[in-house]
Amino acid sequence: MEAFLQRLRTGDPRTAARAITVMESGGPVADDLHRALLPLTGSALTVGFTGPPGAGKSTLIDAFVSELRKSGRSVAVAAVDPSSPLSGGAVLGDRVRMGRHTEDAGVFIRSIASRGHLGGLSESIQPIIDVLDVAGRDVIVVETVGAGQSEVEIVEVADVRVVVNAPGLGDDIQAIKAGILEIASILVVNKADLPQAARTVRQLRSMLSLRRETDRNVPVLETVASTTQGVAELLQAVLALAPRAAEERKARRRGRVHRLIAQAAAAEARRSIMRRNDEALIAILGRVEAGEMSIETAARALILHDGAG
Amino acid sequence: MTHTAVQLPLPGFEQARGEWRSQYSRHMRDEKPIRNRSGIEIQPLYSPRDWSGDRYLEDLGFPGQFPLTRGIYPSMHRGRTWTQRQLIGLGTPEDYNKRVRRIIGAGATAISLLPCCSGFRGIDCDEVDPVLLGTCGTVINTTDHMDRALEEVPIGEISTAMNDPSPFTLLAFTLGVARRRGIDWRSVTGTSNQSDYISHFIANHQFYRLSLPGSRRVLLDHIEFCRRHVPNWNPVSVVGQHMQQAGATPAETMGFTLSTAIQYAEDCIERGMDIDDVLRRFTFFFDISISMFEEVAKFRAGRRIWARIARDRLGAKDPACWRFKFHGQTSGVDLTQQQPLNNIARVSIQAMAGILSGLQSLHTDAYDEAIACPSEETARVAVATQNILREEARLCDVIDPLGGSYYVERLTDQMEAEIEAVIAKIDAAGGMYKAAEAGLVQTMIGDSALAFQEQVDAGDRKIVGVNCYQVEEDPTVPPADRPDADAMNRHVERFRAFKRERSQEQVAKALDALARAANTPNENTFEKVVEAVEAGVTHGEVIGCLRRELGFGHPLIVA
Amino acid sequence: MIDNDKRPLRVLVTKIGLDGHDRGSRIVAAYLRDAGMEVIYTPPWQTIAGVVKLATEEDVDVIGVSSLATDHLIVPKMMDALRESGLNHVRVVIGGIVPDEEKGALLAAGVSRVFGPGAARDEIVDFVDALGRQSRDARIDEFSETNP
Repeated sequence: MEAFLQRLRTGDPRTAARAITVMESGGPVADDLHRALLPLTGSALTVGFTGPPGAGKSTLIDAFVSELRKSGRSVAVAAVDPSSPLSGGAVLGDRVRMGRHTEDAGVFIRSIASRGHLGGLSESIQPIIDVLDVAGRDVIVVETVGAGQSEVEIVEVADVRVVVNAPGLGDDIQAIKAGILEIASILVVNKADLPQAARTVRQLRSMLSLRRETDRNVPVLETVASTTQGVAELLQAVLALAPRAAEERKARRRGRVHRLIAQAAAAEARRSIMRRNDEALIAILGRVEAGEMSIETAARALILHDGAG
Repeated sequence: MTHTAVQLPLPGFEQARGEWRSQYSRHMRDEKPIRNRSGIEIQPLYSPRDWSGDRYLEDLGFPGQFPLTRGIYPSMHRGRTWTQRQLIGLGTPEDYNKRVRRIIGAGATAISLLPCCSGFRGIDCDEVDPVLLGTCGTVINTTDHMDRALEEVPIGEISTAMNDPSPFTLLAFTLGVARRRGIDWRSVTGTSNQSDYISHFIANHQFYRLSLPGSRRVLLDHIEFCRRHVPNWNPVSVVGQHMQQAGATPAETMGFTLSTAIQYAEDCIERGMDIDDVLRRFTFFFDISISMFEEVAKFRAGRRIWARIARDRLGAKDPACWRFKFHGQTSGVDLTQQQPLNNIARVSIQAMAGILSGLQSLHTDAYDEAIACPSEETARVAVATQNILREEARLCDVIDPLGGSYYVERLTDQMEAEIEAVIAKIDAAGGMYKAAEAGLVQTMIGDSALAFQEQVDAGDRKIVGVNCYQVEEDPTVPPADRPDADAMNRHVERFRAFKRERSQEQVAKALDALARAANTPNENTFEKVVEAVEAGVTHGEVIGCLRRELGFGHPLIVA
Repeated sequence: MIDNDKRPLRVLVTKIGLDGHDRGSRIVAAYLRDAGMEVIYTPPWQTIAGVVKLATEEDVDVIGVSSLATDHLIVPKMMDALRESGLNHVRVVIGGIVPDEEKGALLAAGVSRVFGPGAARDEIVDFVDALGRQSRDARIDEFSETNP
């Protein structure tokens, strides 16, 4: 493990790729590795990109990565694509949209299949980010599946969240519904050369002004990703937010851990209760059926008191 | 829309039909429905019940008369046979020149030039492993190369189709050659055969060349430049070939292609161009599959729909603008590697379908097309096929000979309905440009391709030699006809020397001007391309410059 | 070490060289996805250096190269590049048109098989699956001291 970690810290891409594979597989080996990595993390800035399909996320990320490289920073991109619910397989086609970087060793790209995980990313996304952090990448870009609805994870794992819109996608109302404004550190209107762009910008700004104080300062930027217009400014905006975001990172990570524990607890409780067939359980089932006990009371009793009382 | 529901006054008709039907059913128990590639169910028999001629004038018309269903000109092939325009491209410019002079000597009145794949990729020959060069097209990166390729070819008299996408350096080189030979650009005729950037984005990976918005700009500049300076050149060829080859059904292909033509026409109108001026020079380029009657119906329906679109939707007043002029190429996708000689039969049927459809020019594939670039011998067979269809089968004697067939007319109507449904879908998505950008078209094509493959895998769609009538042979792949390695290396060396010896200052100035034009909306980028190649700028350098300024294309993987 | 059996196989489907037709490789990508594999799919015109970088970062098990014209002639160079980058365990298969007399050189260079255009779906999927298992078995233990 020691030698492996050393190699990882030098930035060796094969080792980083293997480490990611280990994290994706989960289990005790992944846990051991993650434990060893944790003290070494903390230098990388994680930037999440999300937004509806058709907004040009991938094109924008490609241009953003170019800007990062121009500024002398090393980059990793984690591109998440959904797995087929039927077969469990996936076609991962995001990385080819970053066509400028196919031979740049300073840009490490990994395609990740969601493998059934809901939340917009993948179950092992945080350990994967940690691997890339320890491998010495200055900035880690995370691209979500991006429908916008269940984007809770991007808040947990990304220091700076860039939400990408485009004019005419009809998503102005959607943005409010999906709570997209709440997760954004920066809002981008891409394809800003289209005639409706100015209107989209205005709509977003007015929606922001209706929100609480902390959100009103969210910058609304315009880009034309295909010609890289506005992307340098986007980088500046991201870097400006970085220090504050780094401070909040601990709280966010803790929030994720807290949520994952609760999730795991719920799963464990479910398994344990469904497995049971003892007298105490049967007694409780009887009492609920007879209307003497509510389901919630029964649940609390089973979890906290193991059925007694 | 067109559909002729028929009221039959023929006495005894229904009874006779009923009798036939019941006898037929007795022989044909448990019959499964048969569908063509576009999904239309094909009946065993068609009769006046399916189509009558009472809407002859509205739906068919005579050749040359609106809606042009039977043909765009009054005399069609009987007056002037279709143009035999064989696609040629291989090796060095000298290789091309040898072959093209031979076919001109054999009577060809039109030529076509296919550049090397490195050209499609947007790079020069010195940027790629030499073993890959010239296998499927000719390596032409400078005006000098074009000059050598067209040595002794009378470009002021013969029509040339240049098969390169934007920014159309091949035409720029050709204009340079014309200038050198003192030939007026107004005598230069031909077509920018692959100017349809939307179909390339969808089905031919041209995103690596220029971004979608950049390609849009360059095409409009190209159209304007040609209107002004090369008025007898067709700058627009709307291409259905790539999409059908990628798996779109014939009806989908026609629907997508017509939608693309609408998009380009509307873009031109938005730029302030006169619609009549522009549409007059629109041409189309299609694949012809082996589903013979379906192809005939597809093209007849396409002709009818386009005439109505041009006149009624786009508002063109000149009848010349309503004409659906198209070049057909027999579809390589139907050809097999197994028992390649069978492909001669396939190409004959495809060619026949195209001729009966009333195409304006035709390319027939060689029978080894599935394996490699055609040899001299196999290319000769392909040309002989056309000659036999014309001289021996006498397919030119009658205009639209399948017209009036109950089947063909009914199928034409049904294909029309399918095609218009596709156009409506694209309209709902905001037009072909937006639909391509969003990946909608790619999804539809991918679904059709997979469905077709599943039919082949299941044995429902039969391909002789592949999933039926297989022969115990090991399908031998013979050694391919490849360009001579030494000749190619010499070509590349000569190119390197040219780059060293030209005026670097002039090159830099020309590239600057091109870059500036790309960033200035009112300037014409194609004009600057033409000037740049005059100054010795190469194909790869032109594209590299435009990619930098107009944006890098991005692939869209739809899974 | 890693519970290999549960993880989906990761397969790169790509085209190097100059040919631009990818109808076949798209269909193969769909076959493999429907068989539960994770397919990293690229469009045509990838470079060898780009493929090696991709195979490294994505930790792929198998590479499927779709080839027409003379593209296969540069596959041995790709095999060399993979070996030089320590990707010896990655298995490579070619699909497309390859003249018979040139198949031998490809197999000698380490390509596992050359599929012609008529290959059946199950044949392709089963073979890639088997190759993927081989590739995983051939990996060196990442935590062993003898790693380079």
